[in-house]
Amino acid sequence: MFLLGTFYFFASFLIFTCISVIFSKNPVNSVLFLVLAFLNSTFLFILIGAEFVGIILAIVYIGAVAILFLFVVMMLDIQITTLMFNIKRYIPLALLFAGVILAEIIYLTVFKSSKSNLSEIVRSSNNTEEIGNVLYTKYFIDFQLSGVVLLLAMIGAIVLTHVYRPSIKRQNIDKQNTTYSKDRIKLVDPKSGEGLNYNE
Amino acid sequence: MDTITMEIFIGVLKIFSFVVPVLVSVALLVYLERKVLGAVQLRKGPNVVGPFGILQSFADVIKLITKENLLPSSSNKFLFIFAPMLTLILSLIAWAVIPVSSTYVIANINIGILYLFAVSSFGVYGVIIAGWASNSKYPFLGALRSAAQMISYEVSIGFVIITVLICVGSLNLIDIVESQKNLWFAIPLFPMFVVFIISALAETNRLPFDLPEDEATLVAGFFTEYSSISFGLFFLAEYANMILMSSLTVILFLGGWYPPLDIFPLNVIPGIFWFALKVFLILFVFLWVRATFPRYRYDQLMRLGWKIFLPLTLVWVVITSSFLFYFGLLPN
Repeated sequence: MFLLGTFYFFASFLIFTCISVIFSKNPVNSVLFLVLAFLNSTFLFILIGAEFVGIILAIVYIGAVAILFLFVVMMLDIQITTLMFNIKRYIPLALLFAGVILAEIIYLTVFKSSKSNLSEIVRSSNNTEEIGNVLYTKYFIDFQLSGVVLLLAMIGAIVLTHVYRPSIKRQNIDKQNTTYSKDRIKLVDPKSGEGLNYNE
Repeated sequence: MDTITMEIFIGVLKIFSFVVPVLVSVALLVYLERKVLGAVQLRKGPNVVGPFGILQSFADVIKLITKENLLPSSSNKFLFIFAPMLTLILSLIAWAVIPVSSTYVIANINIGILYLFAVSSFGVYGVIIAGWASNSKYPFLGALRSAAQMISYEVSIGFVIITVLICVGSLNLIDIVESQKNLWFAIPLFPMFVVFIISALAETNRLPFDLPEDEATLVAGFFTEYSSISFGLFFLAEYANMILMSSLTVILFLGGWYPPLDIFPLNVIPGIFWFALKVFLILFVFLWVRATFPRYRYDQLMRLGWKIFLPLTLVWVVITSSFLFYFGLLPN
């Protein structure tokens, strides 16, 4: 009873935050609602006993991804009117994604009855160990491939944004640390009336 | 009273038994910091309020509470008030999984270390929301610096934690401490211990990495616009975070509640005393560092995080796991 109540509380709060992400006027509020949505899905994962997946979701999405969103959105001065005007363009794409996800949920819950297997894994006392066991044996190739995809995305982002400008003066710390004062400073004793000759 | 009410009552008592000592030790830590800085700089430090000035922090808290709380007219009011609360809440809820002795902990969960890592990575939200909601340039710059800094150092903290976890084979904090019964991890993993302490300084925005609140360039950084108790909450949270990171260092590297040697006069002293003593020593290092080193420049800070700590910790993960694998020491 208590568990069911908690589930409905977090689930309804999750739906509320997701709707708020879309309908917030201020983009920063949208991102903060997104963070709340991630937090609620973490709680839902913990409720079904998958605490490892839940906490990893929190660390990756709240601790890193959403902060980067917030970082970018805070610095943009987005015109709210243009944002509302453009929203119709994305409706077909949104419907496509929603359809795919709905189909996946129906496939998993109705057609593929792997329910018993799932709850067995979830109920075992230490699901971190269970995930580790299959991740590095049964799904080894998939796991490594997803790592390679992420690496490619990272390299792509760096290549796209990194422009080398020779005009910018850069600090070479190793070079600075390996120089001595005698290479840089010279003690000169100028004679009266002659001054210094810098070309020497 | 039925059993559920009884359980809730005991739970609340347990929570208070952690939160109250933490908040009192925050007050004493502020006093200690001023005394240590005074001693290093050949001054007396606070010496008027109470015996040896020990009540100085309590007087400061009363002063902060009774002052007027100013709200900047162009700020986002809700987020402006919410940010310091969030910061303090995050620094306190982390104590839910910290074991101060082999039996005394609020929640002994299997993924304790991940929970701590998650909560400490949320800490940046308080700072970044405060900076944005103030709607003023210095807090905003402070928030941006802080976000970049905390994310950078979390990466190396993550790798340090992974190195320890490889040696333990469990994410449970009690298991982590118990596997150090004979040998503290600070000895075989000494480089990681040093990296962790330095990253903890950066994660808690302490000197020499307190760029988010750099007085010389940013007035007071992200809490420039804050006054009264909302400033006080940030202040409390910073010191509570220091104590938290010190406890985490003690759990990961200094053998938690175990005495340094398992011999007669040392092992009859209760574990909680050893835990507190070790936390105190790490906190003293925090204060000592503050009194000794000048502040880093921002690009130096980023260079240290990404070009030195990240490769070092990454290589050390590989070395540790190869060593354990080769000699068959990997935990089951």
